Amino acid sequence: MFLIYRIHGDLKEKIRELNQVLLDKYSQIFSKDREFLRDFIGKHIGPIDTMKKLDKKHLALYQARGGIVGVDGSTNTMGGAFPHFVQLFQGLAKSTLIEKDDIFMSDLYSPLFTEASTNPLEKDEEVQTAKRNKLLSDIELKVALESVKRHKPYGILMDGSLIRYNIYSADLWKQLRQTCEEEGILLVGVIKDIKTSTIGDMLKEVYPNLSINAYDRELLFGILDYGEIIYIRDQVSKKYEYDYSSVFMRSSQAPTVIGVDIIDSQKSHIEEMSRLVYTLTPENSRGVPLWLDLVDKEVQISDTIMEGLMEKYMDRGIYERFFISERVKRN
Amino acid sequence: MKVVGITTQQEIFVGSRTRNFRINEFLIIEDPSQNGLMGEVVEAKTFNRYIPLNIAGDFVDSSVLESLRSLGYNIDEETIFIAKVRLLNEALYPVLTGSDIRLPEFSEVKDLMIKSRKDEGLVLGVIRNTDDMARAMEDEYKDLLYTYEENGLQAQREIPYIMDVKSMHQYPHIGVFGGSGSGKSFGLRVVLEELMKQAIPTIVLDPHFEMDFSQGAAYFKEPSFDFEDRFKCLQVGFHVGVKFQDLSAQDLKNLLGAASNLTDAMNNVVDIIFRRRDSFYSFYNKLNMLMEAQEEGNIEKIEARIREAASEEERKAWLERKELYLSYDKTCPHSSVRGIVWRLKRLDNDGIFSKDIREIEEGLQRGKLMVIQGNTRILQVFSTYLLSNLYHKRRDYKDAQYRKTSAEYFPPFIVVTDEAHNFAPKGYDSPSKSIIKEISQEGRKYGSFLILATQRPTLLDETITAQLNTKFIFRTVRASDIQTIKEETDLTLEETRRLPYLRTGDVFVSSAAMGRTIFARIRAAISASPHTENPFDELKKRDREDDKVFMEIIESKLPINDTDLLDLILEIEKEFSITFTIDSLEDRLKEMAKKGLLSREDTIFGYRYKKLN
Repeated sequence: MFLIYRIHGDLKEKIRELNQVLLDKYSQIFSKDREFLRDFIGKHIGPIDTMKKLDKKHLALYQARGGIVGVDGSTNTMGGAFPHFVQLFQGLAKSTLIEKDDIFMSDLYSPLFTEASTNPLEKDEEVQTAKRNKLLSDIELKVALESVKRHKPYGILMDGSLIRYNIYSADLWKQLRQTCEEEGILLVGVIKDIKTSTIGDMLKEVYPNLSINAYDRELLFGILDYGEIIYIRDQVSKKYEYDYSSVFMRSSQAPTVIGVDIIDSQKSHIEEMSRLVYTLTPENSRGVPLWLDLVDKEVQISDTIMEGLMEKYMDRGIYERFFISERVKRN
Repeated sequence: MKVVGITTQQEIFVGSRTRNFRINEFLIIEDPSQNGLMGEVVEAKTFNRYIPLNIAGDFVDSSVLESLRSLGYNIDEETIFIAKVRLLNEALYPVLTGSDIRLPEFSEVKDLMIKSRKDEGLVLGVIRNTDDMARAMEDEYKDLLYTYEENGLQAQREIPYIMDVKSMHQYPHIGVFGGSGSGKSFGLRVVLEELMKQAIPTIVLDPHFEMDFSQGAAYFKEPSFDFEDRFKCLQVGFHVGVKFQDLSAQDLKNLLGAASNLTDAMNNVVDIIFRRRDSFYSFYNKLNMLMEAQEEGNIEKIEARIREAASEEERKAWLERKELYLSYDKTCPHSSVRGIVWRLKRLDNDGIFSKDIREIEEGLQRGKLMVIQGNTRILQVFSTYLLSNLYHKRRDYKDAQYRKTSAEYFPPFIVVTDEAHNFAPKGYDSPSKSIIKEISQEGRKYGSFLILATQRPTLLDETITAQLNTKFIFRTVRASDIQTIKEETDLTLEETRRLPYLRTGDVFVSSAAMGRTIFARIRAAISASPHTENPFDELKKRDREDDKVFMEIIESKLPINDTDLLDLILEIEKEFSITFTIDSLEDRLKEMAKKGLLSREDTIFGYRYKKLN
């Protein structure tokens, strides 16, 4: 009893410390008022504007021109530590036109299944993560490509930043990008958790004496009003070198901000697509367009399903021998 | 439509993305390894994984859904329909998950649904949720009836529920249960209409004076059947009664004991004093004289009365009393004699002894429906006598047939009563209960059947309830009654849960003849109950009529000054022999002015009432 209490106290202290560190680090920013940052953004990052939701006629036009497709992927792992696990990947492209079939694709990764690599570096977590990311973005791009072929939509909303496709699956990405450009299909990424530091970097540039390393996420928290958007100037955007245009926007009453990417050649549509994202986001939500939430929900491989699949289609002996970890048996 | 989830040999779940299920619907399960599986939906559910829209804890507003709809996506189409289906007959193996499901054709369910031809059975209503199958139904089953829904009459769309009246020979007696306003009385009315159509001899005990079939229901322009010469309403004590000379001592004791039980001493009094073939008058007189003699106190006082008699007649009368006193005083205590005299007097005042039951017998002989009306107490008394009398007539006839001797023909008949718990209560004895119990247990053999309706099945005698082979169960709200229904019928748990929510006129028919429970809707009655006028409408109507009469009276007297009221009252009394006081007349006039039927003006002499301009 006493022991537990002591550990507790320790943890409390650690967390208190973290809080203090963050507070110190950001004190210079947090002490600035909202207007200061808004001015700064307007001057150095890009204009802040207020969006209007798209009206029904506009949306009906999208419907007539093939609807909007949402693309998302998901992954789930079963088993223990390397190499005794199996990872399932599933991608889904779902059109808002209800008569169009959903496109599902799946893939699987297990260190046991790929030719046994003798490279001990393979075990490295980073390599594993990279592999995982590649498989996930591959499958997302594959369903998107298939969707371009079969759904012929007006636009495609990808879940997450487009930039990671450059990083993990450059070939497939090039293919998708090219096809979309040829067919005039708008290709958009919706980023729920922005990870860039565009504003922070600019702050450092303009005010060198501000010694901070801040990300856009925390800087923009509560800065925009509901429905406001920042069109990031291409010169400022880090993504420009990858040929993307981006915006930040506050799409719901939640104070967090999301990002939208579009490929550079379709830059003229970024306002329209931002408005679509805004329209599809429930006012009292976390800021994610409902369509992507629906796709996410459908594509997810739950633990129950995963377990069911393994139990049904794998010999019990194999399953036990390879994939049941001590942890699973614990409860 | 497919079988989903875990299945058993008795129950399966069926899922569909496009078709909603309805309770009590029939489905055919196409299990590749076993043929001919049919099931009935016992629970229907829908499920939309996105509604309520708590995706990741977010609340989704309708404007976004509206926008998605504009983009071509309707979230409602993600709805999944799920039905719990119970197999009609147990399968040999659990049903294969994934088996296809289809709707049956009429020909496949005909034998399950229709057990009798329309001209031989009782066409009571429709089997709910069978409209899909009913489309392919043969013409003879179409357009037999109307149902009455919220928006008025509706033509028949579903398979008719035709009760096989002949099956009562094997599965006798019917119970009709349901709370007030559940459609129980209407259901009973429809049953009676059908019995009349089939000309089945029937006796109805009607404590509510409602089983009159002469008025057509207002919703039919022209009644499709005229019941006028198929039934007769008879009031106890007015049209029918007990013929005293035909009574046995036991009958008489039953009659006297029907309202409240007789003591042993009272029974003894009847046994000792009553002689077969006594007329009411002679029996009553005997008792009365004995009582008077006993009131004198002792034999000396009676003899003194004889001595001091003012006339010869009086002397004779007292001599007679003395004789009675001497022979009965020892065995018949005064208080018991007095009790019998009072009860006898009360029955006589009700008129029970002034008539006989010949008219009822004749009506039954001609296949009529005889409605016996009276208040509950009188009906209890009278039905005891009536039912045992008729039942034994029928029984004697059948027994004679069996013994190959001859007896007067008496037809089989059905006894119908509402508020049956008053006639056959649980927990205590009543004379009418014993005869109803006898019919319930042996009536089948002799062709005497019961239809017992009650809103309190819990209060009905259990032995009798157990004999009811068909039960109509309307909406029931009381927990204790639902419990009784659970115990006494084959209703499933799901069905009993629905009991408090049934619509008026919807009914579960739990029938041993059918071997399962049917969910039906009673058809619209052709005739109307005399009690259908809303009492509040009646008040309004009555009010208007009163006003009209009053206006007619004072019409010629207008204008009226409030100083002339006294003269006016005299005038009215002379002309119409209606008496007002000044206050009441003034009140009335004021009221009329308020209602805008008269105008009232203020003059220097007081008020003046005038015609409206």
